[in-house]
Amino acid sequence: METYDELSLFDNAFIADLIQEAEHNVEYWDIRATVSEGTTLDFTDQKSTEISSYEMTNCGIRAFINGGWGFSVLKDLNKDSIRSSFLKSIKLAKLTKSLLKNEFKIIERDPIEKSFKIDCKLPLSDVNIEEKIKLVKNHEKIAASSSKLITNTRTIYMDGVSNNIFINSFGSKIKQTLSYLRLLNMVYSRKAGIIQRSLNSVGGLGGFEILSTEKAEKLSEKTAQESIKLLDAKSPIGGQFTIIADPKLAGTLIHEALGHACEADLVLSKESILKEEMGKEIALQNINVIDDPSMGQGKKLGLPYEIFGSYFIDDEGILSQKTTIIENGVLKNYLHNLETSSRMNLPPNGHGRASSSSARPQVRMGFTYIEPKDWNIEELIQDTKNGILCEDFLYGYTNPTTGNFQFKCKFSYKIENGEKKELMRDVALSGMILEVLKKISAVGDKNTFGHSQGICGKGGQSVRVCDGGPYIRVDDITVGGLN
Amino acid sequence: MYEDIDIFELAKFAIKVADKNFSNYKCAEIFIGKSEYLNIEVEENSVKYSEIGRNHGISIRIYQTNGSIGFAFTNKMNKKVVEKIVKNAIKMMRVGTPDPNFKNLPEKLKPYSMVEDLYDKSIKSLLIEDAIDHVKDLINVCTEDDQAISQSGDFTANSNLSYIFNSNGIEVSGEETLFNISSNMIVKDTINGDVSNGYESQMKRMLADIDGTKTAEEALKNAKRNLHRKKIKTKKMPVILSPKGTINLILNPIASAINAEMYQYKRSFLVGKREKKIGSDLININDNAVINGRVGSNIFDGEGFPCRNKKIIENGHFLQSGLLHNSYTAGKEGVESTGNASRSSFSSVPSIGISNLILQPGTAQNDELIQNVKEGILLNSTADSPNIATGDFSGLISQGNLIQNGEIKHALNETMFGINLLDLFENITSISKEYKIYGPYSAPYVKIDNVQIIGAQSLKN
Repeated sequence: METYDELSLFDNAFIADLIQEAEHNVEYWDIRATVSEGTTLDFTDQKSTEISSYEMTNCGIRAFINGGWGFSVLKDLNKDSIRSSFLKSIKLAKLTKSLLKNEFKIIERDPIEKSFKIDCKLPLSDVNIEEKIKLVKNHEKIAASSSKLITNTRTIYMDGVSNNIFINSFGSKIKQTLSYLRLLNMVYSRKAGIIQRSLNSVGGLGGFEILSTEKAEKLSEKTAQESIKLLDAKSPIGGQFTIIADPKLAGTLIHEALGHACEADLVLSKESILKEEMGKEIALQNINVIDDPSMGQGKKLGLPYEIFGSYFIDDEGILSQKTTIIENGVLKNYLHNLETSSRMNLPPNGHGRASSSSARPQVRMGFTYIEPKDWNIEELIQDTKNGILCEDFLYGYTNPTTGNFQFKCKFSYKIENGEKKELMRDVALSGMILEVLKKISAVGDKNTFGHSQGICGKGGQSVRVCDGGPYIRVDDITVGGLN
Repeated sequence: MYEDIDIFELAKFAIKVADKNFSNYKCAEIFIGKSEYLNIEVEENSVKYSEIGRNHGISIRIYQTNGSIGFAFTNKMNKKVVEKIVKNAIKMMRVGTPDPNFKNLPEKLKPYSMVEDLYDKSIKSLLIEDAIDHVKDLINVCTEDDQAISQSGDFTANSNLSYIFNSNGIEVSGEETLFNISSNMIVKDTINGDVSNGYESQMKRMLADIDGTKTAEEALKNAKRNLHRKKIKTKKMPVILSPKGTINLILNPIASAINAEMYQYKRSFLVGKREKKIGSDLININDNAVINGRVGSNIFDGEGFPCRNKKIIENGHFLQSGLLHNSYTAGKEGVESTGNASRSSFSSVPSIGISNLILQPGTAQNDELIQNVKEGILLNSTADSPNIATGDFSGLISQGNLIQNGEIKHALNETMFGINLLDLFENITSISKEYKIYGPYSAPYVKIDNVQIIGAQSLKN
């Protein structure tokens, strides 16, 4: 990227200058700056509704004094504006500190001086816009021509490359070159007055090779088929049911029903139902839950790129790492950022993440999953006399304070006498965090392990996340329905 | 703060670059946005975090005569980068697909309505210390209550300037302010230790209208009402929607369903229902952009087109003219834009959005609505949204209470409900006189009969 030079203004002399400004004034500070470029292609019914490109800079400067944070966001990257924003953030931190009730310190961590680069087999800069358009048009055509029942198709392609710098008062200086790509496909179909839609996406960190997998190539074909399949689906009947969740749904369940309540900022602010559960058995004994956003997950899953929820370092300069949340049913760790780990006097585990350099880091998940065990999927269905087999999700959310969560499945099949039966749509599942983990009665083997990628929202910020697991069975779940 | 950038000159420069590089384009538009904000956050009922920031950027949207579109944006406000992004937009336009549905960008034909109080000039002298006073109001409410154990919340002040210039003669600029305060109150029952939360927020154009105390008190009331949650049995019963519930289940879905883009692509459950009755006679909805001082009010929309008041649903009839348009969807249908082009920032192409969507209040007293229910649900909020294409809704009641013999009883746990929106509209039997304004919505209490409630209490018990 030719704009790389813009970050070279953070040279040693300038950093020394900032360190001097901060001395005796603040206890901790950090600066994040990003220069990025990217493309968006948005097609509906095989016509382009947006073909765009951008070039942007973002910078956020944070200062901390004794429990108070100041944050200043700027867009023009030059030494004068950075210095003046730096001073502003110090002033804000002082003001905040003068008002707060809860004093605490940030524990100093080892500095990191390193450069990271996402490995791209087919760098985005080597792929011209015509080629990207050709790919999108092809997906649109496949979706539109797959059936007469299809009324509307949409395909969105987004990519971006960025150069990033992170500097903090521990002496860290981290450079990163990142590259991401995401392709979304949405298909609507209609039959006898009934409209249904399906949506699928592929995405990851890397270059154009992300779209070379079989799954990516068949994206629109799959979406179209799903949309048509849903036309004949039945509306669900509400009540209490045993469900079998596929890996995507199992991942959503663990993200919503456990992950959010493990975010240590919510624990400290008394907003998490898990605030007094550390070290206690909160799930059945055979359950292990992990969050591991470190690089290399893609390879383990057989993908030629890094998955969407992975990162080298978090947005506070802490290396991404594997964290065991639940071990043999016992709650072992919360997810931390610099602040929560300092306040609980624990090592940080790399979960301070922000949606961009212009936003402040919060405690967020990365790649959250349930470890596989020993059930084979066929056995699992046969063993389930009556219930619902739920596949893939539409969305989910949770209230970490009350513990009530809910999510919606894309496909749900009735199971009768151990056999997969008719398809239902728009099945909504609900439960309570502390109850549901003890209702998981079977966990599938490693052959069934899978993951999904998406965007997770919290406090007005969206970050890339992944979650996953094997097939799992959960007893006694509340299913919402129209009938 | 931006005196160094002459946005008018930069916009004209961008058009010149377009003229020079592709003189026979059909039309082009430059959009420049600038904003500044200030934000204070409360965590654990204490000031924790303060932030100031600014944002700016320029985008160009350009069309070829065959309707093909190119778009590019940057926040690097210098001629060198602007020249590059204009050239990029032209490149994008040349590789795009022809679109015969595209007619034209707006032309300067109509006068603009006067809409006042969209900009509060007190923001110019607003200090972070003043902002903190509002946050202190939140904190006091929590400190003074025995059951309140924690609160998170925030106060934000925003000022935005937008400037739109197109090759058809539109040239408008305007400034607006937005102030926001919110509270998420955590309460713990002193006797049984039960914990719950309640949320409330305000969004206003004028700083003087922000009331932190009232916001936190309302959040506290919601939180207390959400204690002692119990599961209930599956049953059909009437539901009273609070104003927030009305937004979740009526106004928000209607906002999506009357979006002309959703409608034209047949992604709306109201497709084919224009000039037809879609629900109870009691439903009257309009989208009004020209009310002084309201959050959804504007003089011009995201394409510089004049904004106005539009009737959407009259006595339960969805009007022929009840769709919200930008210039693209209006051109496609052969009507005039309704001034609903919406643009979250310079970096997005215009989509379609509501102005102030208003469900007209009815005649019922709010208390009577509840008093007349023998057994039912008071639904304060759901985080779920219906499938707009089908109108089917099934989801969780995030905050709701059981009503028994006209009295509000315990809160609900793990209680879901399902209904098709057209049935919901049909089953509306009463609308309250009282209403609340949340952001761009104006919502009364609404009574709906015969809703399928799915409880988690087993039938055996």
